[in-house]
Amino acid sequence: MADASVIEPIANMQRLITFNKVVTSKVPIAQTPKQMVWALNKAKLYRYVPMVPAEQRHPVPLLLVFAVMNRPYIIDLRPGHSYVEYMVKKGYDVYLLDWGCPGPEDKNMDFGDYTLEYLPRAIRKLKAVSKVEEFSMLGWCIGAIIATAYAALRPDDGLRNLILLTAPLDFSDKQAITFARWTAEPNFDVDKVLQTFGNMPAEMIDYGAKALKPVENYVGNFLRLWDNLDDPKVVEAWQAMNTWVTDNIPMAGATFRQLVVDLYRNDRLMKGEWMLRGERVDVGKIRANLLTVIAEGDHITPPCQSRAIMGKVSSKDKELFSIPGGHIGIMAGSGASKVTWPHIEGWLGPRSC
Amino acid sequence: MAKDATGNGAQFDPMGSWRQMRDGYLDVWAKTMVETVNTEAYAKATGSMMDAYLAVSSPFRDAVEKAMLQALQQLSMPSRVDFIGLAERLTNLEMRLDDMDAKLDRIEGLFSKPATAARRPAAAPPTTPANQNRVRRGPRDSRRKRTK
Repeated sequence: MADASVIEPIANMQRLITFNKVVTSKVPIAQTPKQMVWALNKAKLYRYVPMVPAEQRHPVPLLLVFAVMNRPYIIDLRPGHSYVEYMVKKGYDVYLLDWGCPGPEDKNMDFGDYTLEYLPRAIRKLKAVSKVEEFSMLGWCIGAIIATAYAALRPDDGLRNLILLTAPLDFSDKQAITFARWTAEPNFDVDKVLQTFGNMPAEMIDYGAKALKPVENYVGNFLRLWDNLDDPKVVEAWQAMNTWVTDNIPMAGATFRQLVVDLYRNDRLMKGEWMLRGERVDVGKIRANLLTVIAEGDHITPPCQSRAIMGKVSSKDKELFSIPGGHIGIMAGSGASKVTWPHIEGWLGPRSC
Repeated sequence: MAKDATGNGAQFDPMGSWRQMRDGYLDVWAKTMVETVNTEAYAKATGSMMDAYLAVSSPFRDAVEKAMLQALQQLSMPSRVDFIGLAERLTNLEMRLDDMDAKLDRIEGLFSKPATAARRPAAAPPTTPANQNRVRRGPRDSRRKRTK
């Protein structure tokens, strides 16, 4: 019989090796079948292969617009836990706009370029491919800023339904927004940073997001994996999320500057002073049906940032949906498929006929 | 995890209490850290650190960039700036192609309109992206100039 004093260290060593392997390796994600229908510079528009016969599908396609400084495949994390897969199975014609990774040549790209150059072109292609005049758009995080600006600047472009997820739109409450404090003028010299790097480096954005909850992100997250190393389901979910979390991309310099100066510091969007390519973004011009989803435990976009839009838009059909959870968890967490996705689908379905 | 010696199926985890204590400690630590990063002092400290880092690293970065540029010129090889210029030109070409694609779609739409008009959902005719693109060419050109 082997001595326990020998077996235990070996078992612990094996556990450590497994832990290291899980932490350092990447797993296949974004596996829902799709095809690229449009590309411009780094941006790509994907159309997901329908899983429902054409006659049973909703006639109004859904365009997903994610943030510009993260990979969009959080929306399609892994089979069985993918919002895209869920919506495709429910009969939606789903498109995903992937902004891509900006290079040094894109340092002057700003919100005006994303909103009035890239997005309208992608939408034109979407309409041509699906042969429709109307569409729905879901914007998440910074993607929600772009979607809101587009809805305000092009209200007659066929946008029927607008869904905003954890949308940072109102920057008036500086005390509630940690990023606003960090990027405030005396503390943070945005011009000096961009002069040095061109684009806002991915590592800095990643640090900024993780430093909001340092213990959870740098310690608790790994302890949770260690405690559940024998549970394949937890390990699989952890690894998929870690693959996304560690795959960061920089933010185009001019966009980051606008985010800090125009929005975090001066709250120009809600004040009605935000100018994109010489056009004033007036959220009062938004007429599309509106669903705003708020995560009550969101530390990146506190709920106060998403509420004000409800009272400013001209939409007659609007709903504010508040759910417990974090910035990413509400759409990619274990409860997303039970709460968030069905609610969005339930809201969108009758409005997509 | 060890099985209970009584064999009644209940599990005894000798590390359970330690884990509970650890989680409790982590919760307190997490709350303290969230409060800390939310302070003005933390914002000032990180800002100062960033300033110091940029001040120290910029001269080195500039020197490396200059040396690399000279080396590439000596070797008759394209530099980063050349590639950036090339990438910008490619993007502009792609935009022109996309404009043409939009026009072709419009023409195709005009030809197929009588057949499909009945099937299409009734909606206010949107401003065509091709028209918007034409209007926006001015600002886009000015952006291109800025990047050079």
